Amino acid sequence: MMKNIIEIKNVRFHYKGAKESLQNVSLYIKEGETLLLCGASGSGKTSVLRLINGLIPNYYQGELTGEVMVAGRDISKTPLYELAGVVGTVFQNPRSQFFSVDTDGEIVFGPENVGLEPEEIKRRKELIINEMGIDKLMERSLFELSGGEKQQIACASVAALLPGIILLDEPSSNLDRDAIEKLHDIILKWKKQGKTIIISEHRLWYLKDLFDRVIYMDKGRIKKQWSKEEFLKLDTATIENLKLRPLEVPSYFSVLFNERSSEKETSESGMSNSILLQDFFFSYRSSPYLFRKRHFAESDGDRLELCIPELKLPKGKVIGIVGKNGTGKSTFLRCLCGLEKDCRGIIETDGKVYRGNARIGLSYMVMQDVNHQLFTDSVESEVLLSMSDKDEIRCHEILKNLGLIEYKDTHPMALSGGQKQRVAIASAIAAGAEILLFDEPTSGLDFDHMMKVGLLLKGLAQSGKTVLVSTHDPELIEKCCDYELYIKNGRVESFGGIAEKILKRNEIKESV
Amino acid sequence: MIFVVSAVVMMSATTPFLWGLRIAITMVPIALLIVEKQYASALRFLVLYLAALGLTFYYLTAQATGFLTAFLVGYCSIVAQFMPAMITAWYVVRTTKIDEFISAMQKMHVPDGITISLAVVMRFFPTIKEEYASIRDAMKMRGVMLGGGSAVKMVEYRMIPLLFSCVNIGDELSAAAITRGLGGKVKRTSIEQLKMQALDYVFIFVFTAAAVIFVASKYMK
Repeated sequence: MMKNIIEIKNVRFHYKGAKESLQNVSLYIKEGETLLLCGASGSGKTSVLRLINGLIPNYYQGELTGEVMVAGRDISKTPLYELAGVVGTVFQNPRSQFFSVDTDGEIVFGPENVGLEPEEIKRRKELIINEMGIDKLMERSLFELSGGEKQQIACASVAALLPGIILLDEPSSNLDRDAIEKLHDIILKWKKQGKTIIISEHRLWYLKDLFDRVIYMDKGRIKKQWSKEEFLKLDTATIENLKLRPLEVPSYFSVLFNERSSEKETSESGMSNSILLQDFFFSYRSSPYLFRKRHFAESDGDRLELCIPELKLPKGKVIGIVGKNGTGKSTFLRCLCGLEKDCRGIIETDGKVYRGNARIGLSYMVMQDVNHQLFTDSVESEVLLSMSDKDEIRCHEILKNLGLIEYKDTHPMALSGGQKQRVAIASAIAAGAEILLFDEPTSGLDFDHMMKVGLLLKGLAQSGKTVLVSTHDPELIEKCCDYELYIKNGRVESFGGIAEKILKRNEIKESV
Repeated sequence: MIFVVSAVVMMSATTPFLWGLRIAITMVPIALLIVEKQYASALRFLVLYLAALGLTFYYLTAQATGFLTAFLVGYCSIVAQFMPAMITAWYVVRTTKIDEFISAMQKMHVPDGITISLAVVMRFFPTIKEEYASIRDAMKMRGVMLGGGSAVKMVEYRMIPLLFSCVNIGDELSAAAITRGLGGKVKRTSIEQLKMQALDYVFIFVFTAAAVIFVASKYMK
C-alpha cells in the first residue's frame, strides 16, 4: 500500500465575510494518483485545491479548522514559497497567471524564484521545452499567444519547478478542442512520470483515460466517490442527474471536427424571413499606408481574416457558430456588430439596410467577460442606461422576464457570473437590439448553468430576436441551437439546420 | 540598464531651453522607434515635432494672445516636451524583459519590495491596454461613449469596469506568482547575466554630460 502524499482531515473553512465554503472535508490522496474533482460551480472544488497549494490559509484569509498535510508538511505552518517546488498549480484563466511578458521568462520564473543556479535553470528549461514540444512558442510575447498556447506555457512553467504534485483548476475552460487534446497529452505525460495530479473540471470527456478516482462535491462537502471503473459504468441519466457534463462527446460533434474537407455547402431551406449579410471583409493586419485607412475587398484574397461575401441568416433562431480558436469566430461577431469600423459589411433586414455605425444599434454583443459591460451602480440603472426614453415600466418588465427584478437595486458587480450575463442581456433587449451576439457564453460553466444559458438563448429566439452564439461546447449546440455555422479561416465552411446535420453526420459515422 | 538612464535624462533634458542640444536629443526616441521597426509612428512623430517646433519659433511670440494661441502653446509644448520622454518610456517598457529588469535592479541593490512592485507595474501595462480596449468596445455598443454628455459619467463608465477587472486580475496574478515561489527568503537568481559594457558607459557619459550642460547653463548664469 502506497502512502498518502496528501491528507486532508476534517477541514472546515470559510472565507472572510462569506458563508462556509468547505464543511468537514476529509480526503486522502496517494502518491502517483490522478484525481478528478467534479461538481457544480461553487461546490468547493477550487477551495480544496487552494488547501493543497497553501493559498488557503496563507493567501486567502479565513477561518480554518482541521488539518492539511502535504508531503509531510503541515500546510498552515508552512510558508508558501517553501511549497513552490512541491506543489504546482495551473489556473483557469490564462490571462492572469503570467508574471512575465515573454515565454522564456515565464518558464524560468519559478526556478529563479527558488534560487537555483543559472546553469541548472537553463538545463531545466531545455528539458521542459523538449518534453512539451513547445520550442515553436519560445521567444514570443505572451500577449500574442492564443488561449491554448498560453495554457501550454502555463503548464510548462509549472513543470519547470519539478513539483511532485500538480493541481489543475478548470484548465480547459477557455480552450478549443485541439488545445484540449494537447492539454490531455501533457497531463498524460505527467501521469506517466508518476506525479500526483488533481484536476478540477467541468468538461469530462477528455479526462476519461486519465483519472484513477473521481470525487463529487456538492455545497462544500464530498458527496460521492467512485473508482475509475465505477465512474465509467454510470449511465448518461445518472450523470445528468448529478448535473455533470456528459462523458462522451455527442457523436455528431466528433464527426464535425474530424471531417476536414468534406461537405461544403450552405442550405437555406425553410428560411422565409431572413437577415442578409453582405461584404464582410476584414483583416487585423492594417494596410501598409502611413496614415492608415483602407477598405478591404474580396480581391484581397488570402490576406483577409474574415471573408464573407454574402450570407443569409434565419430570423428568430439560435445559430451556433463553431470552429477552432483563432479561426475568425470572434472577428465575425465583432464585425457584425460594427465594432471593427474598417469592415464595411452591410446588414439587410425587413427591407431596411444598415451600414456603418447603424449596425451598432441593430446588434448587441454579450462579451465573454461580462465585467467589461457593466458600468453603473445598480441593475436598474444599468438597463435604463441603454433606453433612450428611460421607460421604467418597460425596464421592470424586461427584468422580470429575466428573473432579475429582485436584484434591481443591487450593484451589478456583486452578482454571480450568470446573473451578470443576464443583466447584459437585459440591457441589450432594452436597447432594442434585433440581433444578439454571444461570445462563448458557457465556457467555464457547469452543466446546470450551461443548460440555463441554453434555455435563455432559446427564449430570446422565440421572442423574435436572432441569436448568434459562438461556442466550443458541443452540448450547448446540440441542446439549443437551430442552425450551425462552421467558420474556418474566416470563411463560411458550412451552414445549415442542426437537425439535418445530425442526421447526415450519423450516417457518415455509421459508414466509417 | 541604459534604457533606464536614458529615460531619466530625457525627462529632465527636454524641459529647459537649449534648442540645439534639445533637438539632438529628441532624435534619440525617433531613432529608437526606427530600431523597433515602427516606421509609421516615427515619421508621424517627426512631422508633429517639426510642426510644433516651427510654430513655436515663427508664430508664437511672447506677445501673442487669444484662445487659439493659448491652445497652440499648450499643444506645442506637449508635443515638444512630453512626447520624447513618453516614447522613450514606451521603448523601455517594450524592450526590457521583466527578468532583465529584476536582475538589473538587484545588481543596483534596490530592495526587493520596490523591484517587484515595479515589475508588476510593467507587467500590467499590456493587460490594462487589453482590458481598456474591450471596455471601450462595450461602451461603443451601448452608445455611452460620451457618457450622456457628462464628463464625470464618461470617466466613471471607463474606470469602474477597468478597476474591477484589474483588481481581479491582480489578485489572481499574485496568487499564481506566490505558488511559484515569489517572495521567498532565498536569494533570487537569474539566467540573464547583465554586465555593463563599453557602450553602456558611453551612453551614460553622453546623457549625463547633456544633463549637466542643461542644468549648468540654466542655473549658473
